[in-house]
Amino acid sequence: MNSESLMDCERRNVEKLKRFQLPNYFKKIGLGLLLVSLVAIFLNKYLFEQDGLRILFRYGMLLGLLFIAISKEKLEDELIAQLRLQSYSIAFVLGVLYSLAAPFIAYGVDLLQSKEAVIKELGDFTVLWMLLIFQVVYFETLKRMHK
Amino acid sequence: MTNQVKVQRAIHNITQDDLAKEIGVSRQTINSIEKNRYVPSTILALKLSRKFNVTVNELFNLEDADG
Repeated sequence: MNSESLMDCERRNVEKLKRFQLPNYFKKIGLGLLLVSLVAIFLNKYLFEQDGLRILFRYGMLLGLLFIAISKEKLEDELIAQLRLQSYSIAFVLGVLYSLAAPFIAYGVDLLQSKEAVIKELGDFTVLWMLLIFQVVYFETLKRMHK
Repeated sequence: MTNQVKVQRAIHNITQDDLAKEIGVSRQTINSIEKNRYVPSTILALKLSRKFNVTVNELFNLEDADG
Protein backbone atom coordinates (compact mmCIF):
# COMPACT_ATOMS: atom_id res chain seq x y z
CA MET A 1 0.00 0.00 0.00
CA ASN A 2 1.58 3.32 -1.03
CA SER A 3 1.40 6.52 1.00
CA GLU A 4 -1.35 8.01 -1.19
CA SER A 5 -3.75 5.10 -0.71
CA LEU A 6 -2.92 5.10 3.02
CA MET A 7 -3.93 8.76 3.18
CA ASP A 8 -7.11 8.06 1.22
CA CYS A 9 -7.96 5.25 3.61
CA GLU A 10 -7.33 7.53 6.60
CA ARG A 11 -9.43 10.29 5.03
CA ARG A 12 -12.31 7.85 4.45
CA ASN A 13 -12.13 6.69 8.06
CA VAL A 14 -12.15 10.27 9.36
CA GLU A 15 -15.14 11.07 7.12
CA LYS A 16 -17.00 8.02 8.46
CA LEU A 17 -16.23 9.08 12.05
CA LYS A 18 -17.36 12.66 11.32
CA ARG A 19 -20.72 11.42 10.06
CA PHE A 20 -21.27 8.81 12.76
CA GLN A 21 -24.66 9.12 14.41
CA LEU A 22 -27.05 6.66 16.02
CA PRO A 23 -30.52 6.09 14.51
CA ASN A 24 -33.36 8.35 15.76
CA TYR A 25 -34.90 5.64 17.99
CA PHE A 26 -31.81 5.84 20.23
CA LYS A 27 -33.22 9.15 21.52
CA LYS A 28 -36.05 7.23 23.18
CA ILE A 29 -33.69 4.49 24.40
CA GLY A 30 -31.40 7.18 25.84
CA LEU A 31 -34.27 9.00 27.54
CA GLY A 32 -35.53 5.73 29.03
CA LEU A 33 -32.06 4.79 30.23
CA LEU A 34 -31.58 8.26 31.73
CA LEU A 35 -34.92 8.22 33.60
CA VAL A 36 -34.49 4.65 34.88
CA SER A 37 -30.95 5.44 36.06
CA LEU A 38 -32.13 8.66 37.77
CA VAL A 39 -34.87 6.83 39.67
CA ALA A 40 -32.47 3.98 40.51
CA ILE A 41 -29.83 6.36 41.83
CA PHE A 42 -32.37 7.95 44.21
CA LEU A 43 -33.62 4.54 45.34
CA ASN A 44 -30.04 3.44 45.92
CA LYS A 45 -29.32 6.56 47.96
CA TYR A 46 -32.17 5.96 50.40
CA LEU A 47 -32.63 2.16 50.29
CA PHE A 48 -29.59 0.14 49.26
CA GLU A 49 -26.71 2.57 49.83
CA GLN A 50 -24.24 0.57 47.72
CA ASP A 51 -21.29 2.33 46.08
CA GLY A 52 -21.06 -0.23 43.28
CA LEU A 53 -24.69 0.35 42.28
CA ARG A 54 -24.26 4.12 42.46
CA ILE A 55 -21.37 3.97 39.96
CA LEU A 56 -23.38 1.64 37.69
CA PHE A 57 -26.41 3.98 37.68
CA ARG A 58 -24.18 6.99 37.04
CA TYR A 59 -22.80 5.18 33.99
CA GLY A 60 -26.42 4.57 32.94
CA MET A 61 -27.19 8.29 33.19
CA LEU A 62 -24.13 9.25 31.13
CA LEU A 63 -24.82 6.59 28.52
CA GLY A 64 -28.46 7.72 28.28
CA LEU A 65 -27.44 11.33 27.73
CA LEU A 66 -24.80 10.27 25.19
CA PHE A 67 -27.42 8.32 23.22
CA ILE A 68 -29.67 11.41 23.18
CA ALA A 69 -26.75 13.64 22.13
CA ILE A 70 -25.48 11.54 19.22
CA SER A 71 -28.71 10.17 17.77
CA LYS A 72 -30.15 11.58 14.56
CA GLU A 73 -33.19 13.83 14.31
CA LYS A 74 -36.18 12.52 12.34
CA LEU A 75 -35.08 14.75 9.46
CA GLU A 76 -31.38 15.46 9.63
CA ASP A 77 -30.74 18.41 7.28
CA GLU A 78 -28.08 21.11 7.02
CA LEU A 79 -29.78 23.47 9.52
CA ILE A 80 -29.86 20.71 12.14
CA ALA A 81 -26.19 19.91 11.42
CA GLN A 82 -25.29 23.56 12.01
CA LEU A 83 -27.34 23.79 15.22
CA ARG A 84 -25.70 20.58 16.46
CA LEU A 85 -22.26 22.03 15.79
CA GLN A 86 -23.16 25.24 17.65
CA SER A 87 -24.47 23.22 20.60
CA TYR A 88 -21.20 21.23 20.79
CA SER A 89 -19.08 24.37 20.78
CA ILE A 90 -21.15 26.16 23.44
CA ALA A 91 -21.26 22.99 25.58
CA PHE A 92 -17.46 22.78 25.38
CA VAL A 93 -16.99 26.40 26.49
CA LEU A 94 -19.65 26.23 29.24
CA GLY A 95 -18.28 22.89 30.42
CA VAL A 96 -14.77 24.26 30.80
CA LEU A 97 -16.03 27.44 32.53
CA TYR A 98 -18.15 25.34 34.90
CA SER A 99 -15.21 23.04 35.69
CA LEU A 100 -13.02 26.05 36.47
CA ALA A 101 -15.59 27.97 38.52
CA ALA A 102 -17.46 25.24 40.43
CA PRO A 103 -14.68 24.33 42.94
CA PHE A 104 -14.31 28.00 43.93
CA ILE A 105 -18.08 28.54 44.21
CA ALA A 106 -18.33 25.44 46.42
CA TYR A 107 -15.39 26.77 48.48
CA GLY A 108 -17.12 30.17 48.88
CA VAL A 109 -20.41 28.53 49.92
CA ASP A 110 -18.58 26.41 52.52
CA LEU A 111 -16.87 29.53 53.85
CA LEU A 112 -20.20 31.40 54.14
CA GLN A 113 -21.72 28.46 55.99
CA SER A 114 -18.70 28.49 58.34
CA LYS A 115 -17.83 24.93 57.39
CA GLU A 116 -14.29 23.67 56.96
CA ALA A 117 -13.58 25.01 53.46
CA VAL A 118 -11.28 23.11 51.11
CA ILE A 119 -10.95 23.56 47.34
CA LYS A 120 -11.92 20.24 45.79
CA GLU A 121 -11.56 19.24 42.15
CA LEU A 122 -14.66 18.20 40.25
CA GLY A 123 -15.01 14.49 39.57
CA ASP A 124 -15.01 13.10 36.03
CA PHE A 125 -18.71 12.19 36.34
CA THR A 126 -19.71 15.80 37.10
CA VAL A 127 -17.67 17.20 34.21
CA LEU A 128 -19.06 14.69 31.70
CA TRP A 129 -22.61 15.12 33.04
CA MET A 130 -22.42 18.91 32.70
CA LEU A 131 -20.92 18.72 29.17
CA LEU A 132 -23.68 16.40 27.98
CA ILE A 133 -26.45 18.35 29.74
CA PHE A 134 -25.22 21.65 28.24
CA GLN A 135 -25.10 20.09 24.76
CA VAL A 136 -28.54 18.46 24.90
CA VAL A 137 -30.29 21.47 26.48
CA TYR A 138 -28.64 24.02 24.18
CA PHE A 139 -29.37 21.93 21.08
CA GLU A 140 -33.06 21.63 22.04
CA THR A 141 -33.17 25.41 22.75
CA LEU A 142 -31.68 26.20 19.33
CA LYS A 143 -34.17 23.89 17.62
CA ARG A 144 -37.06 25.62 19.42
CA MET A 145 -35.72 29.02 18.33
CA HIS A 146 -35.82 27.90 14.68
CA LYS A 147 -39.38 26.54 14.73
CA MET B 1 -28.23 38.84 3.07
CA THR B 2 -31.85 39.07 2.03
CA ASN B 3 -33.80 36.61 -0.04
CA GLN B 4 -36.90 36.28 -2.16
CA VAL B 5 -37.86 32.77 -1.10
CA LYS B 6 -41.14 33.84 0.48
CA VAL B 7 -42.04 35.95 -2.58
CA GLN B 8 -41.20 33.10 -4.96
CA ARG B 9 -43.17 30.70 -2.80
CA ALA B 10 -46.18 32.99 -3.05
CA ILE B 11 -45.74 33.32 -6.84
CA HIS B 12 -45.61 29.52 -7.20
CA ASN B 13 -48.41 29.11 -4.62
CA ILE B 14 -46.54 26.52 -2.59
CA THR B 15 -46.49 26.04 1.19
CA GLN B 16 -43.33 25.91 3.31
CA ASP B 17 -44.08 22.28 4.06
CA ASP B 18 -44.45 21.28 0.41
CA LEU B 19 -41.31 23.18 -0.61
CA ALA B 20 -39.37 21.55 2.23
CA LYS B 21 -40.48 18.08 1.15
CA GLU B 22 -39.60 18.75 -2.48
CA ILE B 23 -36.03 19.77 -1.75
CA GLY B 24 -35.47 17.37 1.15
CA VAL B 25 -35.17 19.66 4.17
CA SER B 26 -37.39 20.40 7.16
CA ARG B 27 -40.11 23.08 7.21
CA GLN B 28 -38.11 24.79 9.96
CA THR B 29 -35.18 25.20 7.57
CA ILE B 30 -37.37 26.95 4.97
CA ASN B 31 -38.90 29.13 7.69
CA SER B 32 -35.44 30.07 9.05
CA ILE B 33 -34.21 30.97 5.54
CA GLU B 34 -37.26 33.16 4.89
CA LYS B 35 -36.76 34.97 8.19
CA ASN B 36 -33.05 35.49 7.43
CA ARG B 37 -32.07 33.48 10.49
CA TYR B 38 -30.20 30.90 8.46
CA VAL B 39 -28.00 31.25 5.38
CA PRO B 40 -28.33 28.08 3.28
CA SER B 41 -25.45 26.17 1.73
CA THR B 42 -24.63 26.58 -1.96
CA ILE B 43 -26.27 23.24 -2.69
CA LEU B 44 -29.52 24.23 -1.01
CA ALA B 45 -29.47 27.68 -2.68
CA LEU B 46 -29.06 25.98 -6.07
CA LYS B 47 -31.91 23.56 -5.32
CA LEU B 48 -34.16 26.48 -4.37
CA SER B 49 -33.24 28.48 -7.48
CA ARG B 50 -33.83 25.43 -9.69
CA LYS B 51 -37.22 24.83 -8.06
CA PHE B 52 -38.31 28.45 -8.66
CA ASN B 53 -36.63 28.61 -12.07
CA VAL B 54 -34.63 31.74 -11.21
CA THR B 55 -30.91 32.33 -10.75
CA VAL B 56 -29.30 32.21 -7.29
CA ASN B 57 -28.57 35.94 -7.62
CA GLU B 58 -32.25 36.65 -8.19
CA LEU B 59 -33.17 34.63 -5.11
CA PHE B 60 -30.46 35.88 -2.74
CA ASN B 61 -29.10 39.42 -2.46
CA LEU B 62 -26.03 40.65 -0.65
CA GLU B 63 -26.42 43.68 1.64
CA ASP B 64 -23.86 46.32 2.59
CA ALA B 65 -23.49 44.66 5.97
CA ASP B 66 -22.22 41.47 4.23
CA GLY B 67 -19.07 43.35 3.19
